[in-house]
Amino acid sequence: MENILFMIYPLCLLLSSLGVLVFKKPVHSCLSFLFSLITLAGIYLELFASFIAVMQILVYAGAILVIFMFVIILFQDAHQQIERFPSKNNRFFIIATVFSLVAVVSYLSYLIAYPLTNWASMHTTDERFGDVQPLGQSLYLHFFFPFELVVLLFLIALVGSVYIAKRE
Amino acid sequence: MNLAVILIASLMMFAIGIIGCLIRRNALIFFLCIEMMLNAANLLFVAFANQWSDINGLVWVFFVLIVAAAEAAVGLAIVISLFRSKRSVDLDQYSDLHY
Repeated sequence: MENILFMIYPLCLLLSSLGVLVFKKPVHSCLSFLFSLITLAGIYLELFASFIAVMQILVYAGAILVIFMFVIILFQDAHQQIERFPSKNNRFFIIATVFSLVAVVSYLSYLIAYPLTNWASMHTTDERFGDVQPLGQSLYLHFFFPFELVVLLFLIALVGSVYIAKRE
Repeated sequence: MNLAVILIASLMMFAIGIIGCLIRRNALIFFLCIEMMLNAANLLFVAFANQWSDINGLVWVFFVLIVAAAEAAVGLAIVISLFRSKRSVDLDQYSDLHY
């Protein structure tokens, strides 16, 4: 039962990621991406990373996708000009598909040659593995300086985005 | 939970993101695909943090989330100012620096 449930998550993830690619309207792509984010949060919960799952929903689905939705609404009439889905330079599609296929096939053959069976027993079974407390301890004890730098980065990004988007 | 399944899902998600960046001409879908690639990397971080029982992997996911949020804010601001200059979000039209 758990195995079946666990196969459903990656399947939903792949289908919704493909949906971002194939839907013509940007709003549909955005909603498909939302679905893939929620599926990712489910996988994180299965991997006992509960805090990261909550942050995924809050930051990605709650903040980033809302900004995307606002910008899509802002450009409502501009999207209709780009409805031609396979764009005029078709060679990009062929190159990208060939490289991705090569990557996937080589990776699959690697997995078949060296199966990860001896790793499968190593994963953690501690349900409190990804809780706020151990993560906060690691963040504030070992990663304090990067944390402060990232706060600075966020401030700069905030000011920079306001400055770029400002009307002259 | 099998690590190989997660690795394959992450790889395919990354590949879909790259294909989307190359073939879609809408600037917003381009940014969505970049976010998707960041998410594929995040999934790998979480999977290996679980595999080795190492909490530091989750801290890196936290940093990637913050950088993704900053990147989305700046990127969308750039899209807005691009739209102001040509009244279009079609990436094919922004080839001024090609030649």
